[in-house]
Amino acid sequence: MPDTQPFRVDAATHSIHFSRWLPTTPDRVFDAWTRPDLMSQWWDPSGKVLAECVIDLREGGVLRLVNAGQEHHPFEGRYRTIERPSRIVFDAMGATGTILITPEGKGTRMTLAMLCGSAAHLEQFVRMGIAEGTNRTLDNLVTHLA
Amino acid sequence: MTLDQTFAALSDPTRRAILARLAQGEATVTELAAPHGLAQPTISKHLKVLEQAGLIETLRHAQRRPRRLAPRGLMQIDVWLAPFRATWETRLDRLESFLADTDTKE
Repeated sequence: MPDTQPFRVDAATHSIHFSRWLPTTPDRVFDAWTRPDLMSQWWDPSGKVLAECVIDLREGGVLRLVNAGQEHHPFEGRYRTIERPSRIVFDAMGATGTILITPEGKGTRMTLAMLCGSAAHLEQFVRMGIAEGTNRTLDNLVTHLA
Repeated sequence: MTLDQTFAALSDPTRRAILARLAQGEATVTELAAPHGLAQPTISKHLKVLEQAGLIETLRHAQRRPRRLAPRGLMQIDVWLAPFRATWETRLDRLESFLADTDTKE
């Protein structure tokens, strides 16, 4: 039974969960997460196309995403499991990300879980995420002022 | 109180169960101890950790000292998470519109 709560923090497992229903097929969701030309289009919350997107789609393969203007802050990881079109597991920023893609109704349920090793680790992980969000806010400000 | 304390306090199943119970309303130490089969001093230790972390507070009703959730402690976690959540919600919104746009083009 997939998790359908949009956002949830599970203190017991030191994890953060997001869930979305998308009016499309599991294959298309899987492609959006695994094809560099597609992932480059949506990953950066600021709306820019990624400066760099390396996806070596195999177990042990490298993942490297670089937002435009944030070359010093790459999002780097390594794939653990690739099961088209239902499951992608990767380690990044010291946490394990699991994307589950399952058909639901006339669309697809996508859940994203970020699992940390401990409560202290969860805190550190979110702090890094906040740093990312802060950079984005500053970038948006710069864009707005330009 | 710090976030370290808050997360350390939350990293114990008994303490989370106590918070879940208090989410339904205030309760005394005796009431909180009952479902766990733990001695009152053990429960009191857990309550002290939760109180120091700013997650609960002690009320003074005549002879009773019921505990209740402290909204500010819980809000602190929420405030701390908000930017992280916003980043990911925006990212997933973008994925959603991206998929909607490319589906239409086909």
